Amino acid sequence: MKYSELTLHYFQTAPATGVLTGPDVYRGAAGNRAQGTWVQFDLRVSGNIIHAARFLAFACPHTIAATAWVAEHAGGPLSRGALPGGVQDLSERFAVPPEKRGRLLIIEDAWVAAATSALQR
Amino acid sequence: MLKPVYLDHAATTPVDPRVAAAMAQCLTMEGEFGNPASASHAYGDAAGALVETARAQVAACVGAAPAEVVWTSGATEANNLAIFGVAQYYREQGRHIVTARTEHKAVLDPCRELERRGWRVTRLAPDSAGVIDPGQVAEALQADTVLVSIMHVNNEIGVIQDIPAIGAACAQHGLARLHVDAAQSVGKTAVDFAQFGADLMSLSAHKVYGPKGVGALLVSRGVRREQRGVGWEQRAPVQLTALQFGGGQERGFRAGTVATHQVVGMGLAFELARKAPPSEAERIAALRERLWRGLASLGGTLRNGDAQRSVPHVLNTSFEGVEGESLLAAVRDRLAVSTGSACTSALQEPSYVLRALGRDDILSESSLRFGLGRSTSENDIDTAVAVVGEAVSRLRKISGA
Repeated sequence: MKYSELTLHYFQTAPATGVLTGPDVYRGAAGNRAQGTWVQFDLRVSGNIIHAARFLAFACPHTIAATAWVAEHAGGPLSRGALPGGVQDLSERFAVPPEKRGRLLIIEDAWVAAATSALQR
Repeated sequence: MLKPVYLDHAATTPVDPRVAAAMAQCLTMEGEFGNPASASHAYGDAAGALVETARAQVAACVGAAPAEVVWTSGATEANNLAIFGVAQYYREQGRHIVTARTEHKAVLDPCRELERRGWRVTRLAPDSAGVIDPGQVAEALQADTVLVSIMHVNNEIGVIQDIPAIGAACAQHGLARLHVDAAQSVGKTAVDFAQFGADLMSLSAHKVYGPKGVGALLVSRGVRREQRGVGWEQRAPVQLTALQFGGGQERGFRAGTVATHQVVGMGLAFELARKAPPSEAERIAALRERLWRGLASLGGTLRNGDAQRSVPHVLNTSFEGVEGESLLAAVRDRLAVSTGSACTSALQEPSYVLRALGRDDILSESSLRFGLGRSTSENDIDTAVAVVGEAVSRLRKISGA
């Protein structure tokens, strides 16, 4: 499997890995380890502003890279729960093969779960 | 950039420089470039003599008679020739074949093709250690079984099957011919065609420091061995229907000009393997255990295959809490190993061998096969442990495992 330089960079450095704790942290997860892909986001939110994001992922390099990028670029307005960049943008940015694009939907589902949790607080 | 540490000797080995030199002597005007089938002049005679020397070298290494060696392009062709050749030749006697779920694709795919053409195939399941009980083979034999194809050493987990016992089961049946894929065996564990009681055996050169593109099928001539008093003496030579025609070379089993340089390389590679001191196998075995101890110390490491019944050159491990493709991607710049996944597309598929042992998909995908060889040093092993340890630790942290 060949990976783009950006994919390798985010896979190897995996910024924003980990979890957040506290009353202002909202968590969402999607996927299933037993099926090969699982993603979790923690968002620190106050006043509808995301101040920090962390992720965990049991996944392939493309998915880890895309999830790390999302977490790194998550800061800012919660904007109705939309995934930063969007699935199509992630697919192109990380040159995700067509067979794997369904995994980006797992990232989106995890993000939406976390964001929805924050919006419904 | 430093080359990754090579620990994939079960996939292929570098050609031994002595082998490469011998091969080079068969290519140019100054060497023995003649057509070995050209009996009308000295060039052909000289090349023919080299081919026969190589045939004797291969035979001596595996307990066969030189006349039983049929050159092929490799073990895959040998497997195809054995399976299709027997099935076709004995089709009036029966159309049932017995094999194992853990065989190489070069056996499973021909069997599947025969199934498509109307043959019946029984695929035996190994135990959780990868071992096929010879009793399973005996039970699977039916009145119309014409072929049993069981590999000697498994290419993914290194487990050695009890071929002599399986051979005895086939002999008692009377009709079933035994084919053994021994591509992974030579130079790693004792191989004795006669003692195994096999009718056919596939061999490869490039797994044993010979060139790619050459192998052999041993085809028993039926001069049988005083084995276990089960009537080997009465057995007829095994017959095959050839798969290709045009020249009648190799007893008519494999038409085409014999590639002198290739078979000379294979012959010398096998001779070098035969003459390797036992201490080399002990050295490799010690390195493998050093590797296993290092990987086991990471925690959550599972050893795949029966450690007591495997060749010393192979270690296959699964890592809990780690996704397979990410593991391989994390180590590949510094380590050349094989993964338990079959990368047939962008999506990886779990190893069918490990699945047959009962591993789940995730553990099957998160496995690495380490293939040790002549060049492997303690430093290589320590590097491998460090690289894998770092990768596993990082991926577990990312996954929260």
